[in-house]
Amino acid sequence: MPRFTVAGQHFAGQLASGALIIACLALFPLVASSYQLSTLIISMVFLLPALGLNLILGYAGMLSLAQMGFFGVGGYTSALLAMHFGTPFWLNFSAACLVPALLAIPLAIPALRLRHTSFVMCTIAFVFILESVSKNWVGLTRGDMGLSSVPRPRIGLWSGGFIVHTTVQYYYLGLLLCVLAVAALVTIVRSPAGRYMIAIREDEVLAASIGGRTWHYRLAAFVLSAAFAGAGGSYYVHYVTVISPSVFDPTYTNTVLVVVLGGGVGTIMGPILGGVVFIALSEVLRIAPELRMVVYGLILTTSVFLFPKGIVEPLTAVLRGAIPSRARGSHGR
Amino acid sequence: MLQNLLTDGLVIGSVYALVSVGMTVILGVLGQINFAHGEYYMAGAFAAWWAIDRLGLSYIESIPLAILIVAVLSLVIGYVVMQRLVDVSFDAGIIATLGISLLLQNGATLLFGGTYQVFDGGWLAPMRVLGEDIAQQRILIVLVTLAVFGALEWLVRKSSFGKQMRAVAQNVECCHVLGLDVRRVVLITFILGTTLAALSGVMTAPITMNIYGAMGEAITLKSFAVIVMGGMGSIGGTLLAGWVLGIMESLVAAYVGLQFRDAVAFTLLVLVLMWRPSGFFNTKARY
Repeated sequence: MPRFTVAGQHFAGQLASGALIIACLALFPLVASSYQLSTLIISMVFLLPALGLNLILGYAGMLSLAQMGFFGVGGYTSALLAMHFGTPFWLNFSAACLVPALLAIPLAIPALRLRHTSFVMCTIAFVFILESVSKNWVGLTRGDMGLSSVPRPRIGLWSGGFIVHTTVQYYYLGLLLCVLAVAALVTIVRSPAGRYMIAIREDEVLAASIGGRTWHYRLAAFVLSAAFAGAGGSYYVHYVTVISPSVFDPTYTNTVLVVVLGGGVGTIMGPILGGVVFIALSEVLRIAPELRMVVYGLILTTSVFLFPKGIVEPLTAVLRGAIPSRARGSHGR
Repeated sequence: MLQNLLTDGLVIGSVYALVSVGMTVILGVLGQINFAHGEYYMAGAFAAWWAIDRLGLSYIESIPLAILIVAVLSLVIGYVVMQRLVDVSFDAGIIATLGISLLLQNGATLLFGGTYQVFDGGWLAPMRVLGEDIAQQRILIVLVTLAVFGALEWLVRKSSFGKQMRAVAQNVECCHVLGLDVRRVVLITFILGTTLAALSGVMTAPITMNIYGAMGEAITLKSFAVIVMGGMGSIGGTLLAGWVLGIMESLVAAYVGLQFRDAVAFTLLVLVLMWRPSGFFNTKARY
């Protein structure tokens, strides 16, 4: 398991580089084409559930494949609110975080008793059960037909306000949400609860022996990861304006896994980088649609052996080599 | 009606058990979940279809050929990828096999087209058993499954290779110390597991009729449910769990509604895990 060391003296530097990255991303629409922006928007859609998976897997050490189930629940919640009540985006978005988080609590009761393989299987099961519910609760979700013409996000306090519709506007909305989500993740990870989650990841029995209630922290990780996924679902559904049970398809879960594990699990930059690189890669490979997934699979498998800790590892090594820094050496990873 | 449903469930359950037991032995020895397992089931069906449709062979000839093709395929994948998974982490194993799954699934689509192919073969003539008409192919599936499970039990418990398998499953480092070729055991186990999935694919294709590149995905996921319910590593448990799943699916499809069939596996899985977190048959601690 890769380690994320939160050394205090590095935090200011990390904050500064974070601000630099945000500034670059904020200026990106000035030079980028609309196609490049929409690729980045898809990256951001997947980044939100990926951050949740990163929290639960990278910090609490539990591989949950239920992320896209909660993503779907968040998407449906947001879409239904907007369609039936015409509520503004902030409310839809908050509800899309809250409903999956609340749903995660009863689901956690059987799941958190399990470890390793059984836990993974149990979380896969949730996605299928949710898919079945979305297909069969026709009165609410319109079954396989799905919900179409979901309203675009309306930025306003209650009524009126500004409707997001161009790619650039979606890009900025996504950037805002992702910055907030990354900030939330950093806050969680740096908090005592986050440190306790890391302790559980390293050795659950030992963590329990120092008197903490591991169950509470594992529940917190599960619930918070569901909230991140729901946030992604809300942004997604208002961007594509349709949602159907196909959102629970394993392909989406696979994509999130690739983003997190391929990017670098248990690091802040890993999933961000993974989101951009792997989604962009899948777009580049779209020129040969048949070959795209074949190449994608090939890259995935080889990356495990070439970069077992994700692509963030060699990149940071390159950066460290390029910048002769005083900090280098004293605080190894 | 009920008897009909039960036999149907038993046949489908046998298919699940046959695929899943391959995954169980791979999980047991390698300690990794093979996310690409259903793809070997698909590859088996496609290889047989290719032999019948393109080479003009008969169904009976296509079975060994399909198994041979999949064995060669898994020899290559086993040699290049699976052998190296012995000492990587649990989630790296998932991403590696997931990559293989994408590779095989889309490779098949690339080779044979994205549309459904009709599998023409098998013995579909009905046979009268216990006052019921059942296609011969279905009876054959159940018989082959029973034979395979019997042989596997013998292999794992009695044979020298089975001893090696159990040794690797228990402690890899100890095997290294004793000079056991762990990589060879892993490779052979992997080929054994995947050819069982391929056999299942060839046997089932005449019944499902349609084959397509993504057909393995649902099978992989159902196998997960079966191996966990069976208590990972237990061969008898896998058979029982496969049958329970098949019969439950067939009953739910008939009495509750066809659209609920695919949720049965996972609802059942969650219920079993709540009641017995280590599955029906596992005597060891949880995985």
